[in-house]
Amino acid sequence: MNTGTIVDLRLPELSENGGETVITAWHVTQNGYVVKDQDLLEVATDKATFDVPSPCAGVLIKILKKEGEEVRAGEIIARIKVDRS
Amino acid sequence: MEVLDLGVALYEDVLEEQKGLLRNRIEGGIPDTLILVEHFPVVTLGRLAKESSIIDRDYFMENKIPVVKTARGGKVTYHAPGQLVLYPVMDLIGKRRDVGSYIDFLEKTVSNALNLLAVPAARKGKRRGVWVRDEKIAFIGIAVKRWVTFHGVAVNINNDIGPFSRMHPCGETDIRVTSAKECLGREIDMAEAKKIFAEQFIRDLEAEYGNKYEHWNYSGSEIAGTF
Repeated sequence: MNTGTIVDLRLPELSENGGETVITAWHVTQNGYVVKDQDLLEVATDKATFDVPSPCAGVLIKILKKEGEEVRAGEIIARIKVDRS
Repeated sequence: MEVLDLGVALYEDVLEEQKGLLRNRIEGGIPDTLILVEHFPVVTLGRLAKESSIIDRDYFMENKIPVVKTARGGKVTYHAPGQLVLYPVMDLIGKRRDVGSYIDFLEKTVSNALNLLAVPAARKGKRRGVWVRDEKIAFIGIAVKRWVTFHGVAVNINNDIGPFSRMHPCGETDIRVTSAKECLGREIDMAEAKKIFAEQFIRDLEAEYGNKYEHWNYSGSEIAGTF
């Protein structure tokens, strides 16, 4: 991944059946530094919670979906600027 | 595959045990592990639970039954000795990365094990949990981190189901709760129940995901029965 590249963080496909998914907690704040595989946020379906990890190291430059909002698989929920170092 | 029987233990202690196993499983240091446990009386609130789902908070206060907020999915439920709780700490990457089908699997294996105990339990369409006709007997609330599962499913075996009437279990206002004891009119030996659930779990796991568990260990833990 090139440094300075902007990466879209998308909600992974949690289930073939789809269904409602809600963001229950962000573990990091906008403009915060994140490392690869760090848990960024928690989402919940009817019976499950799921921690979404960061795909790369960098700065979380934009949170597009806030706590309490519904999201769908594949939807962009944040943007990360890939680390230069 | 490891099967860990924790006896009767505090909810918070077992949660810590699960977190330790979860870290180790994510790092690949241990195999898939199934915890079997009974909890001392406790009400737990999942991530989407509403406090208003506890109808009679005074009852739980008077009986010194704690209410614990937890990061599992699902809403409100009740645990007590005589209820068998299964917490699989399992890596879904080597199986199927599908949280919905994993919950389907939990419902199937609990139904199958209850059937072996002569309880006519089954899944109920799109309504989650395991049911005996219109009465709910097992309750699901899971969490997944790096595609490794924790938390799980609670099955009413011999426990008093009275406290469920003082809440809306799983946030549902229209359900009645039952137990294996109520269905059969007799107590079930918990050691026998644990053996049946563990063996059925492994059989169903092999059938569902194609994993082979030629060897599996069954053991207790140092925290079992120490409270």
